[in-house]
Amino acid sequence: MTDEVVSLVSLREGEEGVIQAVSGGPGLIGRLASLGITSGIKVRMVRNIGGPLIVTTNGTRIAIGRGQAQKIVVRRLTAGEEEDKTA
Amino acid sequence: MTADGELLVALAGQPNVGKSTVFNILTGLSQHVGNWPGKTVEKKEGYYSIDGRRIRIVDLPGSYSLTAYSEEEKIARDFIINERPNAIVLIANASAVERSLYLLAEFLLLNVPVVVALNMMDVAEQQGVRIEVRMLEKYLGVPVVPMVASKNKGIKELVSAILHISEKGDNFNPSLADVAEDHRDIFAELAALLEPYIDPPYLIRWTITKIMEGDPDVTERMAQSVPADVWRRTQAVLREHEDSLLAVVRGRYDWIEGAVRSATSKFKRGQILFTDRLDDILTRPSLGIPILFGVLAVVFAITYGLGLPLQQVLESLMRVLVTWIEPLLGQSPWVRGIVVDGLVGGAGTVLTFLPVLFFFFTAMAFLEDVGYMARAAFVMDRFMHFIGLHGKSFLPFCLGFGCNVPAVMGARILESGRIRLLTIFLTPFVPCTAKLAVVTLIAAAIFGKDAFLISWLLIAGNILVLGFTGMIVSKLFFTPMHMPFIMELPFYHKPNPRTIGIVVWKRIIAFLRKAGSIIVLFSVLLWLLSHIPGGDIETSILGSVGRFLEPVGRPMGLDWKMIVALLSGIAARENAIAALGVLYGVGEEGIRVILASVMGHATALSFLVMLMLFVPCVATLVVMKQEMGSWRWFLLSFAFMLFLSYAAGIVAYRGALMIGI
Repeated sequence: MTDEVVSLVSLREGEEGVIQAVSGGPGLIGRLASLGITSGIKVRMVRNIGGPLIVTTNGTRIAIGRGQAQKIVVRRLTAGEEEDKTA
Repeated sequence: MTADGELLVALAGQPNVGKSTVFNILTGLSQHVGNWPGKTVEKKEGYYSIDGRRIRIVDLPGSYSLTAYSEEEKIARDFIINERPNAIVLIANASAVERSLYLLAEFLLLNVPVVVALNMMDVAEQQGVRIEVRMLEKYLGVPVVPMVASKNKGIKELVSAILHISEKGDNFNPSLADVAEDHRDIFAELAALLEPYIDPPYLIRWTITKIMEGDPDVTERMAQSVPADVWRRTQAVLREHEDSLLAVVRGRYDWIEGAVRSATSKFKRGQILFTDRLDDILTRPSLGIPILFGVLAVVFAITYGLGLPLQQVLESLMRVLVTWIEPLLGQSPWVRGIVVDGLVGGAGTVLTFLPVLFFFFTAMAFLEDVGYMARAAFVMDRFMHFIGLHGKSFLPFCLGFGCNVPAVMGARILESGRIRLLTIFLTPFVPCTAKLAVVTLIAAAIFGKDAFLISWLLIAGNILVLGFTGMIVSKLFFTPMHMPFIMELPFYHKPNPRTIGIVVWKRIIAFLRKAGSIIVLFSVLLWLLSHIPGGDIETSILGSVGRFLEPVGRPMGLDWKMIVALLSGIAARENAIAALGVLYGVGEEGIRVILASVMGHATALSFLVMLMLFVPCVATLVVMKQEMGSWRWFLLSFAFMLFLSYAAGIVAYRGALMIGI
């Protein structure tokens, strides 16, 4: 298992990661948390071609502006790695 | 509970969980739509009656959480705190139960009985998620009613759960989400400090949680009511534990995790969904953007293909109507003028656009309902950033092509006040159906076979002006601009005719209400101004104003009649044509024939450019002021449009003369 910690924007399409931290004001942290984007949650990158990106988590797909996504730190999961989302 | 035994129930839920479907089923035609007092947020309420009991149902604005970051969230929680409803119905999405439970965790802290309506059970099933409803109930300590609202399933059970829980009253003892374990002592410390200063209707546990979350509203209120030394100690604790917010969030997710683990199971691995396959195409910019423009082209083709013939039918009906009522109006030229030229000619012409708007709004509501507009917002986001906005503003702009009035009101979907303001500021630059009608008519009369090209250039120019204005205004007034763009992309689903119908109905009503009040008033006023005192337009007040302004119009080649026509466009754009007809003494029909002889090409061009950019119609102005909520911004936008149309008119005229059009 690799332990590569990167910003959400560097996940490629199809890759998964576990969120480590969200930096930013309470507004951004709270808003993302209420949509299911918070530490310990597993996300999958669906669309990442410049501009905003789309991730899925727990059956929801969420579009996030690039600026906001840069503030989300994830641990990249290598292909095939099954990870409990409460990691 | 009110004296007559009426129950008050609040309907809550995150966006895209089918809340309006449930609300519509419960309240049917009894619903009343207004605004929350002093807010530009829509308030819907209605009644449901059962066995002689009335349940008053208030639809809380959809929000993802209950922290006061947006007006919607503040309204929802203030309503619960101040009105203490008998019950809250939280609509949850069974296919994304984690997120719905997040909002539930917040509502439970407010100590009002909650019923969870677990909607979209069918979608969850399709995705291979099974939910043991009894287990979930046991874990949460809250009644849970499984539903498929789109198929009318579970409504009866929901109502009986509401009645049951309302009667139980205080015997409501749900499981609550704690803050994360490592922060419980901090919670206790803050509670000990602040408890003496928290008075009803505010609850201790809720208030402390909000303080830890850094909620601006609660923090502000406590700072006012707590003695200075206690507040200083509170702040010190909070500063020392900057991660309090995360502890609250973590606590909630631990609680959610427990619920999910005890009550849900995946019985098959998530298959590739229809939504995934469609999104693979529609959210890829290289495909999604051309498809978006294709979709919009189809929308316009339908709108004008079906709407315009009907509009012409209505127009001729209107003429027939006039021949019927004219003899009934007696001899007075004033009565005849006000009714026939003012009411029918002014407001009536506006009404003939109803079919066009109907087709347009239906197409848009369809695209919204099936989930497509969220994807359109996504692919347009990158372009909207250039003009200081983000993808979500694309929807109000689209509506603007129909009518600017619902477009300005549509800007309410934007959470950020600044983005909403800028979107409203730019909306008048979206050419609406009325503008397009006037432009195509005049262009056809004057430019002959080049009319099509000229019309397209004008529309494209209008949109470019929107873009440049956005760039300039956002640079000047909104720096440094952070544009948080976070948006859920709902699943695609079958269109629900009822939901679409209600959306279309609401937008049409918004248009009709303006047409019925402001436009009628202005049409009559305009007619009077053009006939007082002498009875003819040459010597009227409006005529004098036009003559007075004639020197202003000279640089762009306009005579006073054209200036008057431009001014009449403020009542409603369509009036510009009628005014030209009256001023040149040929009537509305005749104007198409003689227009070419009174307007040169350069003059016509500057007239059209000004018409596109000029102050919008009075109905739009009224909602702009209302939705901006600020005179300063409203006047700024008004002055800007005046200046811009004037400058552009001169440029168009001089430019046209120079290149010899």
